Amino acid sequence: MDHQSRGADDDRGRKLRQKRIGDQLRRLYDEVTEEAVPEEFLNLLEQADNSSKKQK
Amino acid sequence: MTQPTLDDQAFKTELAGLIPHLRAFARSLCGNATAADDLAQEAMLKAWKARESYQSGTNLKAWTFTILRNLFYSEKRRSWRRQQLDPEVAEATLVSNDDPSSALDLLALRTGLTVLPEDQREALILVGAGGLSYEETAEICGCAVGTIKSRVSRARKALAEIIENSSGGYAGDGKLRASEAFDDIMKQADELSSGSSADV
Repeated sequence: MDHQSRGADDDRGRKLRQKRIGDQLRRLYDEVTEEAVPEEFLNLLEQADNSSKKQK
Repeated sequence: MTQPTLDDQAFKTELAGLIPHLRAFARSLCGNATAADDLAQEAMLKAWKARESYQSGTNLKAWTFTILRNLFYSEKRRSWRRQQLDPEVAEATLVSNDDPSSALDLLALRTGLTVLPEDQREALILVGAGGLSYEETAEICGCAVGTIKSRVSRARKALAEIIENSSGGYAGDGKLRASEAFDDIMKQADELSSGSSADV
């Protein structure tokens, strides 16, 4: 019984730590997705689109 | 029966909408923001050129991530290959955060990510942060679903170990200097990675 409840505590602790890691991983990723997209990206895409239109 | 392809305008709109994710995935591979944007731009242009081979109805995000990943691994000599965590990024992580223990955890996570084997790191990022399924991630990485599951679980375990070892001694000490914290976490990470084959 004692053994079992300790096991359950360990388990809960592990799950909490993993949840924290998961939250922070998403935070690192979202820090980038929430940045404004540099204009260079959209300009490059427009240029690529324009030059493919000319070829057609 | 093949699905019709998206017309150029629709494809362009969808691709533009994925730029934030391309940048985030690239950042996780490169570690350095400038190199990551360089990689993300090339991947975007490659995806545009290959648009006719994209089947509409399938996951465009997974498709573009595959392109980005192939580009990253095929050009090993390019500058965007990952380097160690920049100490300036480490410092900024610590000072920009109001809660010192959370800042240390975040720094430990950043550092921990740099010492994970590449295959584990990318699996963890795609599944844990990028919102891709195990199946999609397996397709992006070109391996079996079971392999991805085991990489993710090993990565989680290793990160938990790094974070536990590095933040344990600092609870309540908000005056810890950033450079000391960084050195200490790097040391923990080195010890952890020397026991496994980090250079996969």
